[in-house]
Amino acid sequence: MTTWKSKRGNLTSSPPNPKKPSFALSLKDVTVRFGYTAAVEGVTIEAEQGERLAVIGASGAGKSTLFRVLSRSVALDEGKVVLGGRDLYALSKKELKSVRRRIGAIHQAYNLVPQLSAGVNVALGEVGRMGSLKTLRTFFAGPDRTLATKAEVALERVGLGGSMAGQRTADLSGGQRQRVAVARLLVQRPDLILADEPFAAVDRVTTERIMEALLELNDEGATLMVNLHDVEIARRFPRIVALREGHVVFDGPPEQLTGERLEVIYAGEPHRSPVAGSSPDAEVPRHCRQEPDPTRIPEGRDGISAH
Amino acid sequence: MASPPTSHPRIAGAIPRFSWRTTLAVLAILGLTGWSVAGTEFDPVKLFTNTRPIERFVSEMFPPDLSAATLRATFTGILETFQMSFLGALLGAVAAFPLAALGTQEPPTVGASRGERFSRAVPYHLSRFVLNVFRSVPDILWALVFVVALGLGPFPGTLALAVHSSGILGKLYSETLEAAPIRPVEALRTAGAGALQTFLFGRLPQAVSGFTSLTLYQWECNIRSAAILGFVGAGGIGQQILISMNLFNYPKVATLVGATIIVVLLVDRFSAAVRRRLVY
Repeated sequence: MTTWKSKRGNLTSSPPNPKKPSFALSLKDVTVRFGYTAAVEGVTIEAEQGERLAVIGASGAGKSTLFRVLSRSVALDEGKVVLGGRDLYALSKKELKSVRRRIGAIHQAYNLVPQLSAGVNVALGEVGRMGSLKTLRTFFAGPDRTLATKAEVALERVGLGGSMAGQRTADLSGGQRQRVAVARLLVQRPDLILADEPFAAVDRVTTERIMEALLELNDEGATLMVNLHDVEIARRFPRIVALREGHVVFDGPPEQLTGERLEVIYAGEPHRSPVAGSSPDAEVPRHCRQEPDPTRIPEGRDGISAH
Repeated sequence: MASPPTSHPRIAGAIPRFSWRTTLAVLAILGLTGWSVAGTEFDPVKLFTNTRPIERFVSEMFPPDLSAATLRATFTGILETFQMSFLGALLGAVAAFPLAALGTQEPPTVGASRGERFSRAVPYHLSRFVLNVFRSVPDILWALVFVVALGLGPFPGTLALAVHSSGILGKLYSETLEAAPIRPVEALRTAGAGALQTFLFGRLPQAVSGFTSLTLYQWECNIRSAAILGFVGAGGIGQQILISMNLFNYPKVATLVGATIIVVLLVDRFSAAVRRRLVY
């Protein structure tokens, strides 16, 4: 198994981009409840700008909610979220917009508008920086030349060059859409990337390609936070955070993530624990998987499901 | 490998087992039915015992009047009805769009201040109120109002259709906008997009083919409505049907009604064919 290396070697963190103010993130005792169930409870995570984190945990462990907290897409019950030195939940609407401009999120391929062309979807990476006039221009006449070129370059970067930019996104395959989503990030150039299951439903080659593009952004100083189902892929990250039932149960380098620890993280999901077989879950037929704990939040309650 | 336990004794079939709620609902429906039958003096027996007038009416309709003058009158009436329904749907759609855009509820920013929430709620409730008024008054009542205000003719009828259509379309448009898959919209918002931007790039592209389908359907409804607006003097073929009825000219009525049925069916077919071809 190869470890992904950035160009500067396998660093835990890269020096922040000197031009922009640092975008370090810090969650302190964060709790989010849906009804009586806590999706995340007392979660504390600190990350320097430029760090690479993999977040793992069983279905319903709170991974997606954690990501939504970081873009203020879900109400906070307790705790504090600080992004780039500012309390995210205390920002005014305008300030929030300017902070969100620096956050790039991919949720599988669901963040694309299927009716728009791939090129426009990629160009929308700049939507946060468009004024009203440019917004209307882009809506009626398409992106201007600079932006269109940027979008095409980004698409080429992920292997979708040529006429792909003009294709309706709905007509693309799952893997292609995934790459379009990444191309949008390349246009947006965010300082914090929240990738929710970016490798679900893509083949090995596409996984490598997507990861390469994400690492490129990471090299430029963006913090990379990736939500993963596959522990083997997570082991290629310098830092792993594991959630179980809304709590952080592991935070450290992959070497410390022993089999026993994994068993705790995935307890109740036999197909994932190393005892039941260390092979990826794809080889376990669906009917052999045990149902998740019924008291947990059913997936999608927070507006996001991992599958 | 052993299969997981399959003890689910509470799983029922497609039809639920006994429940108090269902029983109460069935009883309520039965009660309402009886009450309505009594209130409307609903009596199917009457339909079959005293058939004389119906027989006479139907037999006098045949053969239909196919003289040149009647056919010409039918043709102009149908044409007017068609034009009224089309313009009504188009104007309705044009008026409905901005109202629908304002009447679409965006989930508020998490942690938004009270003032922010209020400033979003005002246009929403205002446009919803206007749409409700437009929609809840039937088009024939609007026609009466406009006939009183503007005099007889197809113009007040067209306006009546436009107002009623905008009420219905506005409501359906905003519902379509709200039902657009939320994740692309959220992704834009997370990337710093404002309300106008999430609307233009997130909701609208996902809703637009729905708009087309709804507008075509509203046009179908309008052509049916336009056929009777003439009863209150608002133009279209209804006016001629009413006049012929009052003159007991049943053969002419037969021609007019037959032509109306044909046009309605043709428009239905056409719009269904277009809607089938819409790409979502």
